[in-house]
Amino acid sequence: MTSPCLAIYHLYPEHLNLYGDRGNILALRQRAQWHGINTRLIPVRPGYKVSFAACDLLFMGGGQDNEQKMVYRDFQSRRSELLESIELGMAILAICGSYQLLGRYYAAADGEKIPGLELLDFYTEAGSRRMIGDIVTRCHIQGVRHTLVGFENHCGRTYLGSALRPLGTVVRGYGNNGQDRTEGVLYKNVIGTYLHGSLLPKNPRLTDWLLQKALHYRNIDFRLKQLDDTLEEQAHRFIIKRCLSPLYHRRSSAM
Amino acid sequence: MKRSRHLKRNNIRPREISGLWLGKLLAIGTRLGGQGGTTLPGRAASALSPLLLASLAGQLRRGSLVITGTNGKTTTAYLLANIFRQSGFSVVHNRTGANLAWGITSALLSASTFCGHLPYDLGVMESDEGAFPGVVQAIQPRGAVITNIFRDQLDRYGEVDQIRSMIGQGLEALPEGAPVALNADDPSVVYLEQQHHRFLPIYYGFSINLPQARYQNTGQDIKSCPLCGRKLTYTTIHYAHLGRYRCPSCKFRRPDPEVRLINFNPEPHGITGITIAFPTENVTVHYPLPGIYNLYNALAAAACAWAWGLSTRDITAGLEQAVPSFGRMESFQINNRAVLMGLIKNPVGANEVLRTFLESRERINLLIAINDNYADGTDISWLWDVDFEQLAGARNQLGTLAVSGIRAADMGVRLKYAGLEPALITVEPVLKRALEQTLQSSRDEDTIFILPTYTAMLALRRVINRLGAARPFWEV
Repeated sequence: MTSPCLAIYHLYPEHLNLYGDRGNILALRQRAQWHGINTRLIPVRPGYKVSFAACDLLFMGGGQDNEQKMVYRDFQSRRSELLESIELGMAILAICGSYQLLGRYYAAADGEKIPGLELLDFYTEAGSRRMIGDIVTRCHIQGVRHTLVGFENHCGRTYLGSALRPLGTVVRGYGNNGQDRTEGVLYKNVIGTYLHGSLLPKNPRLTDWLLQKALHYRNIDFRLKQLDDTLEEQAHRFIIKRCLSPLYHRRSSAM
Repeated sequence: MKRSRHLKRNNIRPREISGLWLGKLLAIGTRLGGQGGTTLPGRAASALSPLLLASLAGQLRRGSLVITGTNGKTTTAYLLANIFRQSGFSVVHNRTGANLAWGITSALLSASTFCGHLPYDLGVMESDEGAFPGVVQAIQPRGAVITNIFRDQLDRYGEVDQIRSMIGQGLEALPEGAPVALNADDPSVVYLEQQHHRFLPIYYGFSINLPQARYQNTGQDIKSCPLCGRKLTYTTIHYAHLGRYRCPSCKFRRPDPEVRLINFNPEPHGITGITIAFPTENVTVHYPLPGIYNLYNALAAAACAWAWGLSTRDITAGLEQAVPSFGRMESFQINNRAVLMGLIKNPVGANEVLRTFLESRERINLLIAINDNYADGTDISWLWDVDFEQLAGARNQLGTLAVSGIRAADMGVRLKYAGLEPALITVEPVLKRALEQTLQSSRDEDTIFILPTYTAMLALRRVINRLGAARPFWEV
């Protein structure tokens, strides 16, 4: 059997690239290779004429407010195509700033309402304090209880619509809004999350889940191997251990 | 309020004296304890006497100047202190990278007498970008240097735009017409001048093309015009986003620098012959610090000193006397092995240090030590923007490879995804053990390269001191 090939689209790699988003791309591509899957990485920049029909997995990173505004119009022009792909089951990973863009709007601190793409039913409001620190959440990956670990740094507080499921439940950290213990969103194969750090390298099961969904989406019957994740698990467990320690206190960002 | 004549003459009040003494005692105490505390004394003293920093700085006869920016602060401040000393100034200087307001307070109180008298001409202070507005308010400097703005410690500042706005706030608080040396090759720095008009800009930059880097910096922070948002066109990129650029649609372009690097010529023993063009004359300097980023530091110091009216002879002499500063590429000798240590704290700096190491063409025994304490930055995701892939490309140069520090495992994962087999990587979170293992498994006459974050560097220095190789840094 020839090895399958996945097309990974990276949306606005220059504009939405914050907090080591490159690590997520590296994790997807390296793990795919270790599983015996080829990947092609296709950058999508503002103004590029690309069709998402050929995209198997879409990654979008975080951005600064300014840069998010710069790509907004281009993003808007791709909305209907994205919506269709999402319903068909395309795997998407959107982190921090681009996660917020998937929702209805972002209400800035000065009251300005920056519209989102309204792909999913949630909204975000700017809070007064940035939520910064290590985060541990509990979630289900393919029916198995699992933890996700990462680092969060956002002042947006995101509130999900009642029909939407969060990606995980906060064990330590702030999550979507620091109040309802939800973190991220999971709709079909779309994941939006505040976790970076980078997220995928130390959550290898989530990486494999995304690869598996992308293969499914292409109707490729391919079973992923069990890889040796000793190092990844060590990094993963370190965060859990630190956060669950009775001596743990959230390190403040104040000077 | 009645004050004693003595205290009044020194312009310091009883409330400040108590803080000063507390700080001085703590400075002595931490030194005896072997910690070489550079922040704690200032922190405690400021808590007791909030005005201490201002009243000490106010005594400096020729005022002070502040260096800020992402990379190169420590080296530029050190070069400037050298140059001003060469010119006959007595200089007080926070040499150890303790660059929050507390660190600056520590430096000043250590230099003052017990009566609170500070008999110096000039303060040359490096300041953390976030602390910059507060530092400017407190010490009222007469000039500044902005080295560059890269992605650094985002957990502390939020976002790059915010770093820039904090530097802007500090610039606004400078006296009208204060000379500020700015990097013309960094569009993000140049944008500051477009936004803030109070100060007098003196630009410096490269007027030559350097050999192209073998790697790419993916973490480029500014790619689009800060005025209109269009993608900037570069004719040359020196590294990261530093280069010759212009905006294709608006008026934003690289300003012509007044102080320029016009020639560059490697000489034996790691010395680089550089020619700096000042508006009045060209001078050639035999410059001892390695790496392209250190050429920028030399230019920054030269531009600042020139703006203060110092002679090109003093500038040349000050630059030529430089020895690598604290932790930023220092060398030690332990058991017949050369140890070279280069502090890393953000992608651009780390790439440059890594490149300098790999260019040595020696067998590389590498120890990467990553801590995530507050002073290091608690978010380590920047490690993913560093091109550790350079190491996989130079695999035949690799001897031992160890990762250490609080986040050793994360660093191990980073190297694995850079394409290095996990079997090659030793994960040892305890710094002391990691260094000992590296020393043991390397060969005689080998060089050991250490890449630590800030607090890992402090801890490793203590280990190295105990091994008898280096002088404690607070004696330097």
